[in-house]
Amino acid sequence: MTDVALERDLAVQGRVILALAQRALRVQLRRAQFLLPSFLLPLLLLAVVASGTSAAQQLPGFPSTGSYVGFVVSGTIMQGTLLAGLMAGIAIAGDIEGGFFDRLLSAPVHRSSIVLGRVLGTAAIGVAQAVLFLAVAFAIGADFTGGAVGILLTILLAALSASAAAGLGAALALRTGSLSLMQNLFPFVFVLLFTAPAFFPRALLSPVLEKISVVNPLSYVVEGMRAALFDLPALGSVPGGFAAGIGSVVLTSSIAVWAMRSRAET
Amino acid sequence: MSTRGVAYAGEVGFALWRRSLLELARVRGGLLPTTIAPVIFLLGSLGQFGRLDQLVGFPTTSYIAWLMPLSCLQGAGFAGGATGANLARDIEAGWFDRLLSSPAPRPLLIVGPVMAAMTRSLVPMTVILIVGLILGPGLTGGAYGLLMLYLAGVLFSVVAALWGITLALRARSQQVGPLIQNGVFIAVFLSTAYTPLPFLKGWLAVAAPYNPVTYVLQMGRQATVSGIEPSWAHTWPGLLALAGMILFFALLALRQLRRIDL
Repeated sequence: MTDVALERDLAVQGRVILALAQRALRVQLRRAQFLLPSFLLPLLLLAVVASGTSAAQQLPGFPSTGSYVGFVVSGTIMQGTLLAGLMAGIAIAGDIEGGFFDRLLSAPVHRSSIVLGRVLGTAAIGVAQAVLFLAVAFAIGADFTGGAVGILLTILLAALSASAAAGLGAALALRTGSLSLMQNLFPFVFVLLFTAPAFFPRALLSPVLEKISVVNPLSYVVEGMRAALFDLPALGSVPGGFAAGIGSVVLTSSIAVWAMRSRAET
Repeated sequence: MSTRGVAYAGEVGFALWRRSLLELARVRGGLLPTTIAPVIFLLGSLGQFGRLDQLVGFPTTSYIAWLMPLSCLQGAGFAGGATGANLARDIEAGWFDRLLSSPAPRPLLIVGPVMAAMTRSLVPMTVILIVGLILGPGLTGGAYGLLMLYLAGVLFSVVAALWGITLALRARSQQVGPLIQNGVFIAVFLSTAYTPLPFLKGWLAVAAPYNPVTYVLQMGRQATVSGIEPSWAHTWPGLLALAGMILFFALLALRQLRRIDL
């Protein structure tokens, strides 16, 4: 079979995507420098926000969801998936600087498969994060009235959010090819997080942030999670969350594939 | 130590301090991450949690006044922690081994970088202060409050630098960088970061009074929080906490330094 035929064989590319996803998972789960920001840091912020700002429930207009930790855990999932996306970008930049990426490019592998492998691996991390964070929130008092269906929908939304973040991370890494630049992007993850109603309802955000949150697709994803977890349409729209999530994945993955082609051509 | 010895120590410390600062000129944007991250946290936390100042009994009517000293401390801590990351790079590159084989007394090898951390911490603190003053109500604590805020930040950068140096000397690898910065992050947030002690709930309400950073924050908040008026009573617990942390981490760093064999 020729290289071109291999690239066009869907079964072969499916196996390539799976193998690259497994590699991405192994790399992210084995190294402390990747695990710490993706799992420990969001849990820490959850603990701090849940204990430090729970008095917010006394504010007029704050929705009643039982325990405060149940309300903010969606923001924690969002934070975790964004950081997992950044870690994916850092790992790609490491592959570029280390030379592994050049070997991938010279193999009979479709360009989009390389991106999709990383996106799929990060989606799996997003699922693991959501399960862990929801379990911790449940253990410290959250009561998810949306039941098993709500939890499942939230996990799916987390996978979409992680995939979108991985697409963005991959696009930036492929465009810049710089490990140190990717590492310095850490604070900018929080721009995406804080411009969505991650920890407070949209109506209680500052007026400027409330306006910005309208154009941040993550707003709809995090509100969709909340609506699913508590089966309360007043907190957000589950279909809206999925639409924003899928749209973000398609957009960021497309940009990453484009960045990949540009890199391959140079 | 003789006068000549003191002069020599000063010379070595000054040379290492200058070298650490020269990096800022050589590495463009070297201070950007330590400055931008706290500014983003300041603005993001203000947007998310800004309505908390409407709670009955909150010590200020401006939430940014509550957050500003937190972000200053964060920026100073990140600038201090970066010293450890830079030392790890020097160790990996072999430069630190050359310093160890020089006749300079070993403790001096960490004095220079710590002094540089103190100097570097002024940049993020000043940027955060300017942003905060543009958006906030101003300095309610006057000159004394401002002095206490800078003192708290600069001394906290010493704590973070010593923590970073200890880890760098132990790990001897740049991979320790995230652990250094996460340590600063955790220390700052396990305190009265978002709300005062009476508003904390659960485990944080128990842990925060035992975290020395809580008292350092109180010392710094004399500058901007109208409910914490500038006074010695709001200053000495912070100074004591800082002295304790500096002593503790200095001993750890020196112990680690002594363990290094050429």
